[in-house]
Amino acid sequence: MKMYLPPRGASKSRRGFLKKGLVGGLVLALGGGGWLLTRRSAQVVVPEGLQVLNATEYAVMWSLVQRFVPAREGFPSTEALKTALACDGILAMTEEVTRAEVKQLLMLFENALPNFLFGGRTSPFTQLDATEQEQVLAEWRDSRLTIRRTGYSALRGIAMAAYYGNPQSWPAVHYPGPLPGIHDPNAPVWKGGLEPRPVGNGTWIEPEVTP
Amino acid sequence: MSAGRIFTGDELTADQTLECDVCVIGSGAGGAWTAHQLVKQGKRVVLLEEGGYHTRREFDMTEARAFTNLYQELGNRATDDLSMTIIQGRSVGGGTTVNWCSSFRTPERILATWRDRFGVDTLTTEALTPHWDAIERRLHVAEWPLEAINANNKVLWDGLGALGYERALIRRNVNNCLNLGACGLGCPVDAKQSMLATVLPDAVELGLELYANVSARQLEWSGRRVTAVHAEVLDPVKNRPTGVRLTVKAKLTVVSGGAINSPGLLMRSGLDGDGRVGTRTWFHPVVATLAEMPFEVNAFAGAPQSVSSHHFLDRGADKVGFFLEVPPLQPMLGSIASGGTGAQVQDILSRLPSVNAMLALHVDGLLPDENGGTVRLKDGAMSKYSITYDFQPAHWEAFREACKEMAKLQFAAGAKRVLSLHANPVVMEKVEDIGKLDDAPWEPVRVRVLTAHQMGGCGMGKDPFTSVVDPHLKFHTLDNLFVVDGSVLPTALGVNPQETIFGIARWAAAHIGDAVG
Repeated sequence: MKMYLPPRGASKSRRGFLKKGLVGGLVLALGGGGWLLTRRSAQVVVPEGLQVLNATEYAVMWSLVQRFVPAREGFPSTEALKTALACDGILAMTEEVTRAEVKQLLMLFENALPNFLFGGRTSPFTQLDATEQEQVLAEWRDSRLTIRRTGYSALRGIAMAAYYGNPQSWPAVHYPGPLPGIHDPNAPVWKGGLEPRPVGNGTWIEPEVTP
Repeated sequence: MSAGRIFTGDELTADQTLECDVCVIGSGAGGAWTAHQLVKQGKRVVLLEEGGYHTRREFDMTEARAFTNLYQELGNRATDDLSMTIIQGRSVGGGTTVNWCSSFRTPERILATWRDRFGVDTLTTEALTPHWDAIERRLHVAEWPLEAINANNKVLWDGLGALGYERALIRRNVNNCLNLGACGLGCPVDAKQSMLATVLPDAVELGLELYANVSARQLEWSGRRVTAVHAEVLDPVKNRPTGVRLTVKAKLTVVSGGAINSPGLLMRSGLDGDGRVGTRTWFHPVVATLAEMPFEVNAFAGAPQSVSSHHFLDRGADKVGFFLEVPPLQPMLGSIASGGTGAQVQDILSRLPSVNAMLALHVDGLLPDENGGTVRLKDGAMSKYSITYDFQPAHWEAFREACKEMAKLQFAAGAKRVLSLHANPVVMEKVEDIGKLDDAPWEPVRVRVLTAHQMGGCGMGKDPFTSVVDPHLKFHTLDNLFVVDGSVLPTALGVNPQETIFGIARWAAAHIGDAVG
């Protein structure tokens, strides 16, 4: 019988979800060339500690999180919470196949050619103003193509998790956070062996039978 | 002093081969009870768990930490097109470490369906009752008192009462519960009687050897017997293979990885049951509505699930039934699950303390033409799978009707405003607006569908040409391989699944022990 286990250190093949659908493949193929590709992405300051995204991908993520969490009184800015960097941190914990898919998706958002074909715009996503970016997002969200709705949902989820998972966002949503004084960071971690099992809520004492 | 031991990835630094009577793969509801009962019989049992050994020391009740450590794919597991978000546990204790404690015995009508349609004549109420009795004693399963339900559940309770619909209090597996509302984030006081806090340590005391951060990658088999389990050790922090390998040579192997990972392991091992493994996967697909109430709900606090209604379970022969419960609502999951633009999410979340969320869980797998979900291997992935779900018109009809009923209930309980979870939410200000849901798009990735209950994929049945395991949970074509987890369920249940899986596992352990000899 053939062994599944790959050789130690073997690299894994990548196959993004966008390549699977016919339309996705076509979009990617179109994205591979043409004069619109010469349109440059907006530059943003790349923070230290970026693990997965390159400068262009980070710029797209940076723009997206500002749309998914727009400036609003009472809500700390995505800049202050370093939400785009947190998105990169989330991606760093995912499998390589997921990271590859998201990177591919970010570039699809950015690429001017698909933006031109779907929305008639000739600028990359990062070069659009906020209103136009909102329109692009709405087009992805409401698209007749499932694959575009999927892409929108994926990026929205990452941005939301990165922002609302940050305790600094909680006052804005009046979430008090965990009740203090409950969690014990020094609670014993029992692993059996010679160590006696600590008595707690999980241990069981058979109730005495009432005669 | 305990006869057994829990090992974690950081301790496993050299390749090793273990010999034992039984290798159990997966430490959730099925694997834990199976392993416990087998060590109680005196068997030498090795249990492999892909997830980490996370305990109350780490359970700080934050979503970011919980989703990273305790959920499959950091909480991002989903169908390929993201049409269904799949919330599934991944740590020692499996789903029981993060579920919301709802405990139901398997409904009689479901057991009858399994008997009549799939020839499963072994699992009867009579056969399972002594196991459920013992399980409920050990896990302190008891009805949550009406006076202790939180305001989120009270909205459902009151709405059901106002409309005259069936309602009931849920039985929960808790002991000295502080009513925190953190069940889904790991219980910081071990009040939740999860496998992590109860049955697994009981089994370790009796001799279980539990290996956390160890991912079973392949079953090696020859003829009609599994000869070895090949596993990779994962770094407990990075969750990536360290290069160290573990081989387990057992007389008998029990696969208990749940409805997605068990089919995955079998398929990686060339045991695809002629294509049936990973098919007919049932999810209790969930749709939800949010309501802004004129009073404080604080859905993030208090026992998350304590009220249910099975009023709409039987909607007619050609319709998908559903049951109603509520979820806890913390900001991260709330923001991801809700619909709308960034500004709309800010709008609803800025009212978080007064938001009620309601769930309708759909009982899939009972209509003759349903195919459910399909799980397949994904190129280059370690624990990610290709998952699809065959949504049919009957599902969308049920989703729409369920949302209408939930909106009615929320208005009956006093809601000022109800929102659907559409990408572009339907906003209802009064009962008369509920009709707007008829015009909303009911299509994949236009409305949020979730699942927290994964079932099927290795369905049991008498006929080896239509099922994966037999009515005693033995893999049809191998003599020393059993599957014991939610994957064996031939249909969805119509109730939260943990106690069904507990019961089946405890029942199965008796004849699995006999099979070991």
